[in-house]
Amino acid sequence: MAKPFKSTRRGITGHFEPGEVRLLGSLFSDIITMLEPDTAPSTDPLAAMVGVDAEAVRPGDSALQRLLPDAVRDDDAEALEFRRLTERSLREQKIGALRSSALLIENNPVTLNPEQGRLMVQAFNDVRLVLADRLGIETDEDAARLHGIDDFADAEDVEAYLALVYNFLTWLQESLLQALLSSTRTAR
Amino acid sequence: MTLGTATDTRVRDEASTRSEAGLDQPWVVVVWNDPVNLMTYVSYVFQTYFGYSESKARKLMLEVHEQGRSAVATGSREKAERDTVAMHSFGLWATFEKAGSE
Repeated sequence: MAKPFKSTRRGITGHFEPGEVRLLGSLFSDIITMLEPDTAPSTDPLAAMVGVDAEAVRPGDSALQRLLPDAVRDDDAEALEFRRLTERSLREQKIGALRSSALLIENNPVTLNPEQGRLMVQAFNDVRLVLADRLGIETDEDAARLHGIDDFADAEDVEAYLALVYNFLTWLQESLLQALLSSTRTAR
Repeated sequence: MTLGTATDTRVRDEASTRSEAGLDQPWVVVVWNDPVNLMTYVSYVFQTYFGYSESKARKLMLEVHEQGRSAVATGSREKAERDTVAMHSFGLWATFEKAGSE
């Protein structure tokens, strides 16, 4: 079982079992695949450089919608226009955090500086957002109901297995956040 | 928002107060409640990205949690757009709007 992250003088440290590294690695890579744009970068070099994507549309998949939400409410035209200006670089930023995290968890122990910790806590969050969508978590009550599922012996179907993975990610993220916040307090 | 399972992070001692929108600040960034993001995470994002104190970050986080939304930053349209994208990069559900449109 993974150990909780700890804030130490060498930075934030953590430890994963080989099976957990494989699980996290495959989750990170699934979400990288989801986030890779469907269309090639613009052939206009300036547009490509600033990340403008004139073809971008609101994602059809609900999990992807949650990763790349509308930035403007109640105005679809404005939201789409903004998406075309910003979505490609947002996708790239998220993919970057997921890729770094996939590399960092290969180390044993895992040692993180605050910037690497930020990327990993972001990556854990994106995984949780996708799993939550697949699990149909729509209200605080839905989320609370899943908290009790914590024994892999109970995983009799895909739904229960996903809930266990979700709870594991929640635990990891909370533990990393505690370590990050405690190192911020010490630095002040 | 939801509570993590690693530690007890009950933070209910501060009443939520007024929104952050000022009259001279024409655009606001609004963060919306969702059932996935951890309360600790939302506070962490407000502290690290906006540089808010622990208590201010917690106050805004509770506003999101209890009222469903909170105006967490104000400024020019460009700043509000930039901040909204930054919130999305953290996975928070954020939008920008003209101050006073709610």
